[in-house]
Amino acid sequence: MATAPGIIQIEETEADSALDVPWNVIVRNDPINLMTYVTMVFMRVFGYPHDRAQRHMLEVHHKGRSLVWSGGREQAEHYVHQLHSYQLMAHMEKSS
Amino acid sequence: MIQMRVEADGPKHIRISGIHPVMLDCLHALPEILEQRDSPAARKRLLPDLTTTDANLNAEWQLAVAPELRHAFVAAGDTVARDLTGVTADGQLIFVAEHLNAWMSALNEARLILGEIFHITDADMETADFDVKTAKGLAIFRIHVLGWLLQLLVDREAGHAG
Repeated sequence: MATAPGIIQIEETEADSALDVPWNVIVRNDPINLMTYVTMVFMRVFGYPHDRAQRHMLEVHHKGRSLVWSGGREQAEHYVHQLHSYQLMAHMEKSS
Repeated sequence: MIQMRVEADGPKHIRISGIHPVMLDCLHALPEILEQRDSPAARKRLLPDLTTTDANLNAEWQLAVAPELRHAFVAAGDTVARDLTGVTADGQLIFVAEHLNAWMSALNEARLILGEIFHITDADMETADFDVKTAKGLAIFRIHVLGWLLQLLVDREAGHAG
C-alpha cells in the first residue's frame, strides 16, 4: 500500500486488536453447588453486593450461565482463578 | 430431636453442636471421598480449563494453575481431617475460625466429586426417592447431608459478613 512521503503508517495487527477485545468471565451451572454458596462466592470474588451476586447466581441457575464480569485479559484470568479455587465452573471468552 | 448448630465459640473458634451420627458417618467418609479427586471425571470438574476454545491457553493454565489449586484442595481436606479428630462423644466439634474456608472447600469438593463420579443430575438432586443401599443412592444421600452442614457454614459466614 502506498503512503504519502513522511507519513509512517502503522498497521493494526491481529495481536493488537486481540489485546483490545474485552474478555468475559462466564460461570456455568452445575447440579451440585448450593445456591447460597455460589452467591457467597460472587460476593467474595467480585465484591458484589448481595442483590447483584444473587442475580448472577439465579441467572446461572435458570439460564445455565451468567456473564459475571467483563474487562482486561489479565484481570479475567485472575477472576477465573479465584472462581476455580471456589470450585465453580468458570471460564473466560473473548467478547463478541 | 437434636438440632445441629454452627455458632461462634469465643472470638476465634467455631462450634458445631448436635452432630447426628448419620452426619458424623458422612464426615468420617470425607477423606475417602476426597482421595478420589484425581479420578478423570473429578479432576476435569475440579481443575477446569481457562477457556472453552483455546487449547494453548488451556495447556498453559493446566500447567501453571492446576497444581496450585490441587495443592490448596488437598490442604483444606487435611485440615478438616485433623479437626474431625476432635469430635466429642456427644456430637460436638470446635475448630479455629481460620479453618472455616477449609471446611467449606472440603465439603463442597466432596459433594462435587460424588456428583461427577456418579453422574448426578439436577433430577437426581431433586428427587427424594433414592436407595441408599445402592452406590449412587448413597452418593446422593451424602451430597445432601454434607450440603446441610455446608449450608449452615455459608449461613454463618453470610451472617458474619452482614
